[in-house]
Amino acid sequence: MNPLETEIGGLRMKNPLMLASGIMGSKVHSLNLIARDAGAVVTKSVGVEEREGYRNPTVVNWKCGLINAVGLASPAAKDFAEELKDYTNEAPLLISLYGHSVEEFSDLVDTFDSALPYLHGYELNLSCPHVKGAGLDIGMDLELSAAIVEELKGKTKNPVFAKLSAMHDYLKLAKVLEDAGVDGITISNTLRGMKIDIMSGKPVLSNLSGGVSGPAIKPIALKCVYDLYKEIEVPIVGCGGITSFEDVLEFIMAGARAVQIGSAVYYSRRIFYSLKESLIAFTRARDCTISDLIGIAHS
Amino acid sequence: MYYTRITQIERLTDEVATLYFSISLRSYPGQFVMVYVPGCEEIPLSLSSSNSVTVKAVGETTASLINAKEGQYVGVRGAFGSAFTPSKRALIVAGGIGIAPMKYLYEYLMKCGSKVSVVYGERTAKNLFWLDKFDRITVTTEDGSFGLKGTVLDALKLEKLDEYEKIYVCGSEGMLRATYDFLKERDALDKAEFSLERYMRCGIGVCGSCVIENGLRVCADGPVFNASELPW
Repeated sequence: MNPLETEIGGLRMKNPLMLASGIMGSKVHSLNLIARDAGAVVTKSVGVEEREGYRNPTVVNWKCGLINAVGLASPAAKDFAEELKDYTNEAPLLISLYGHSVEEFSDLVDTFDSALPYLHGYELNLSCPHVKGAGLDIGMDLELSAAIVEELKGKTKNPVFAKLSAMHDYLKLAKVLEDAGVDGITISNTLRGMKIDIMSGKPVLSNLSGGVSGPAIKPIALKCVYDLYKEIEVPIVGCGGITSFEDVLEFIMAGARAVQIGSAVYYSRRIFYSLKESLIAFTRARDCTISDLIGIAHS
Repeated sequence: MYYTRITQIERLTDEVATLYFSISLRSYPGQFVMVYVPGCEEIPLSLSSSNSVTVKAVGETTASLINAKEGQYVGVRGAFGSAFTPSKRALIVAGGIGIAPMKYLYEYLMKCGSKVSVVYGERTAKNLFWLDKFDRITVTTEDGSFGLKGTVLDALKLEKLDEYEKIYVCGSEGMLRATYDFLKERDALDKAEFSLERYMRCGIGVCGSCVIENGLRVCADGPVFNASELPW
């Protein structure tokens, strides 16, 4: 019996560690490498059209994490579907989608459902903080977000997850999405931040602001998971500043059934392997399974 | 990111210049820095010594760098990436601006007491620089305007590859692939190290923009790869 096994929205995973979207997720070769140890991988967010993203600098590391404004750089959906045909399928593959309208999300699902038979699900990016009219702006509109989920649930057999931000009214949004049929909620995407360069007197990032990730946002994301666990029935995936196995366990105990690893890849390329081994050691020492620990911080 | 002043600009050819920084970076040959030119973009550049980069003008940002004024500030992040592995008997193979990191490597190896040979290829004579920096150098130009007419491969055919402990290669993609095939044919890939180039965003291994076919990241797992690791 695998003590790390978990399940979200009908998706069985060998362990609760998922690769977060936007991290090493734009090339099938890095997805294949990470899938060896990850429980699932989420691709880079992709839209209908190719997007070049922002001019460098796009990533700044600071004391407690990263600030990024990569700008959803991605190939067009059709080209990305072609790229993903070489996926080795060692772990479930979820495609992160961003769009500006119900029609765009619908077109994206048509493209991927028809091209990739082994696709395991979608994660709707309703929270990316650095592209106008998509991401966070969609998630701010409860009616539009619900309409997108309803439309997609009506046309794909694959599970549909939604990624929210701590900057949303996330309890209300999650409830609305759950009622619309969403299969799970991921929280949180990055938060808005910026850094100013004192030498030039200008913002460091060419996009002025960017998404803040890393250990700095972990307490915020953890609280979001804890709050959501009390309010919704669908599975929660925690994401935000996870760099150690203790962090993983905190999110599980707060109510997450899985966690996404993102900026920790900066610290170690072997982060999935090392977290997996540490979690196995913990479950053996405590004679429990990951499923036993879900939400125990609430009792 | 931190700022450094450009203390000296040494023009080497019409489109190549070395920029010396006011600080010395803790680094090894083969590593690179992300250089930010205020008002322009942030780009990856190989170090040509612990306190310099050598740049060829190929776009707006690089053009502004080679025309920078002494005393000007630029932002620097790094040094990043993997470095070349030292050896006692070395062959350096460089094409075009790929010679830039090789000067750092050459100086490092000389300090280690290594015996080093250099093969340096360019399109034409006017692009050549640093010929006086290397003791044992073979130069090729495609048009025959200096040294051996042809490419670095023509010079490599004259070398006894068995004599070398390590072969270090840096240049354009086409040159790297041709050299790879040449070395593979002669069973020399195991001792070859290639320095790769890719468009980069974060430079620190998280965005995945620079991933190559085996899933490795040029900025973090590279830019220096053992040739036998490359999926060519």
